Amino acid sequence: MAKKYAVRNIRLCTKDCLCLYVCPTGATDTENSIIDVSKCTGCGDCADACPSGAISMVPFVYPPQQPKTESVVSMMNALLRSKSEQENIAAGLSGRLAKAIEKSNRIMAEDIIREAGYMLPQSQNTKDFLQSLLDKNPEGLPREAVEKLLENLYKNEEEGSMKDNKTKENLMKAFAGESQANRKYLAYAKKAEEEGKLNAAKLFRAAADAETLHAFKEFELAGKVGSTADNIKDAIAGETYEYKEMYPEFVKDAEAEGNKAAATTFTFAMKAEEVHAKLYKEALENLDSTEEVFYYLCPVCGNIEKSVPEKCVICGIPGDKFIKY
Amino acid sequence: MAKYICSICGYVYDEANGIPEAGIAPGTRWEELPGDWVCPLCSADKSLFVKQGEATSAPAEKTRPVIDTPSDTQELSPLEMSALCTNLARGCEKQYKPEEADLFRQLADYFKSVAAPSKDPSFSRLLDLVEKDLEEGFPNANDTATQAKDRGALRALTWSEKVTRILKSLLIRYQNEGEAMLENTDVHVCTICGFIYLGDNLPEICPVCKVPNWKFEKVEGR
Repeated sequence: MAKKYAVRNIRLCTKDCLCLYVCPTGATDTENSIIDVSKCTGCGDCADACPSGAISMVPFVYPPQQPKTESVVSMMNALLRSKSEQENIAAGLSGRLAKAIEKSNRIMAEDIIREAGYMLPQSQNTKDFLQSLLDKNPEGLPREAVEKLLENLYKNEEEGSMKDNKTKENLMKAFAGESQANRKYLAYAKKAEEEGKLNAAKLFRAAADAETLHAFKEFELAGKVGSTADNIKDAIAGETYEYKEMYPEFVKDAEAEGNKAAATTFTFAMKAEEVHAKLYKEALENLDSTEEVFYYLCPVCGNIEKSVPEKCVICGIPGDKFIKY
Repeated sequence: MAKYICSICGYVYDEANGIPEAGIAPGTRWEELPGDWVCPLCSADKSLFVKQGEATSAPAEKTRPVIDTPSDTQELSPLEMSALCTNLARGCEKQYKPEEADLFRQLADYFKSVAAPSKDPSFSRLLDLVEKDLEEGFPNANDTATQAKDRGALRALTWSEKVTRILKSLLIRYQNEGEAMLENTDVHVCTICGFIYLGDNLPEICPVCKVPNWKFEKVEGR
């Protein structure tokens, strides 16, 4: 899951629209100018590209609020009491000056209580305040508003607290190890089959499947499997990183070291990942479509097409070698 | 020739230069400026200016009455809870959470509606409270926040104290001039710090918190 998402400040937006060009999922292209959180992958490309500084990346989980000492809080509360009383007196007086004084005192009261421990809507103080309202239940309290706030503001908390959790970290390490073991054993099984060592090949295949079972369970427990829409977004982010950042560097290094075979493999993979990212993006847009789609995989370079091509656009093998899904 | 500095916005009146564009000739002494002369930047009156080189505050040795520290479990009054909720609504707005901002505003409205109106509202009671804030509330809170090295609280206190000083000068003027003071003039409030500006030509930035003037709100009659 992405840790941040993009938001646009309409007052600063000058409609230079670079965000539309760079967004890998079309999340910034909306009729009401509000970036679509459900599509945003948190990559930050729009914020980097915006010439007006109108896009910010904000976190799903905010850091804890700065602590306040009791003595500061009680002094600030004493001033808050005075400012609120002045607001109340001014509200009972007529004329524009009284109205201005009423407003002014409200603004000062807000600022003072903000610095007395109520900066963040997501803070424990705010949560306790909201909870206390439900407990006391004064007459006429709009309970649904309080309940909705408690539901909306603290739903990311659990995820945030799990961020630094050792077990979660271990689950992801185990997932990486098991995933590698799976592919390694399949590569060994292929070799064993070529050498005619069929029993060894069988064991490699069985063990590879066992590692897959472990990997699935660990990945799931780490909370990494979301809704299909979320999973596609994660896939787009992963593929985009690989073709934009990881493989270009790898190709450069391989070429510099004169390793042509690796350079070719990396290049094929890089081009294929770009295709994958594009296909995932289309799939996300048409997630609810019931029309069946077929995909054709190039068994040499990993390119995927939606119809059988004459030959692979990346590696050039004939189209009849493609595998249908 | 001396210089006088506005304690609200830092504007400097230099007797040597005067303000020729406002009809104040070079060499005009501070004492010769009319009593109703106000700071050209923020409209603070003459009493809020400090002569350069002189201490900014009243004699420091004078002992202040220490207010009873309110107990920590003190209940917030309905109006205070309303301010808490509008503050949190602002917090949600800043985080681009319009739905939650609306919910906090709904709560703020509820608390405001159940707050008992002031029994005996008057401008002189306002002035009493403003003076008490300036003599006790702010100095005490500033000392405590300085000791605790709480820069956030000091920031809020600095802004609110300046705004409160402006309120004091406006309330004193209102006592003397009455409604005439507001004739043919606009009243604006800075929506960030609460600074009140009387006049038609807004300063480019708020003299207290320095936000651009589109953050000001014009106060319409009621």
